[in-house]
Amino acid sequence: MIFVIDDDRMMAECIGRACKNFEVRVFGDAISAMEEISNGIMPSLVFLDILLDGPDGFTFLNEMASYSDTVKVPIVVVSSLDFTNKNLSNYGVVGVLNKDNMMPEDILAYAEKYS
Amino acid sequence: MESEVDGILVAAHELKAPLALIRQLAFAFEGANAKDEKIRSDMISVSERAIKQVNDLAKIRRLEDGLFEMEPVSVRAVCDDVSRELSYLFDYNRRDLFIKYSNRARLVTANRDLLYSVVYNFLLNAMHYSGEGTEAKLVVKDSSDYVRITVRDYGPTLPIDVWREMKRGWIEKPVSVAMRPGSSGLGLYIASMFSKYMNARVGAVRHRDGTSFFVELPISRQASLFV
Repeated sequence: MIFVIDDDRMMAECIGRACKNFEVRVFGDAISAMEEISNGIMPSLVFLDILLDGPDGFTFLNEMASYSDTVKVPIVVVSSLDFTNKNLSNYGVVGVLNKDNMMPEDILAYAEKYS
Repeated sequence: MESEVDGILVAAHELKAPLALIRQLAFAFEGANAKDEKIRSDMISVSERAIKQVNDLAKIRRLEDGLFEMEPVSVRAVCDDVSRELSYLFDYNRRDLFIKYSNRARLVTANRDLLYSVVYNFLLNAMHYSGEGTEAKLVVKDSSDYVRITVRDYGPTLPIDVWREMKRGWIEKPVSVAMRPGSSGLGLYIASMFSKYMNARVGAVRHRDGTSFFVELPISRQASLFV
């Protein structure tokens, strides 16, 4: 199951749609995604926006990195912020997609590789 | 005046998310026929241009932080990339783009991304204001100390007040150009601010049948020795 966390519902759905045949759950904030995980629903991959309502993407990254059962969940950061030359691999980030120029194929490629 | 510009920059930041979304929605739209596909690709192209302009505006705010590294840049490579990106638009609007390089491939001291935006805005402006079936010209020429990139259009000539403002090398805020309907002057403002950051100079030459906009960039002497 792929988690998409983005406070822009339409953008989240676009990302979900690009994942084609994969099962996707969309969350509008980090808290509801973290609750779902603590209820035992473990994502195989997370597409994560950084600027979220409430706790931001970095809070989510820290939370995921701190627990033994989520530390290895691959996360793809999807943001309009510039992460060039920023190393986020310590947080389990396997890739960064820039919302300004990402293609549906880029999203699908991550889904196919990690789900 | 500063708060006016600041307002524009805040608005630009706010526009980023919806524009990126429109682009993604266009990707999601699967056309049933060739006409739909055409509309889809036009939506993508228009939103990408808008995103680029909004990103350029957002960059203006970051100029004062000095985050854009200056390095030796090949003017020719940048002009080639920009004209390649815009060739689709020129064809679509039935404009020709004439390119002439008469420089000796010398390198300039600039930031590649900022220079790309300057040339992009000049060319987009020329495409917009040259009449259908006419051409715009992109000419790159050396002098002893700088390389000049000139973009000539065949639209309405530039009003004298805007020309006067450009004469000092940069413009302070977007000025709509009355003789160029639909112009907000935003492209010129972006080009001007980026050029100022790169210690380059923008200017304009008025013609009876159009306008030439130019930017002069200092030659990178040391790096040019290796070319």
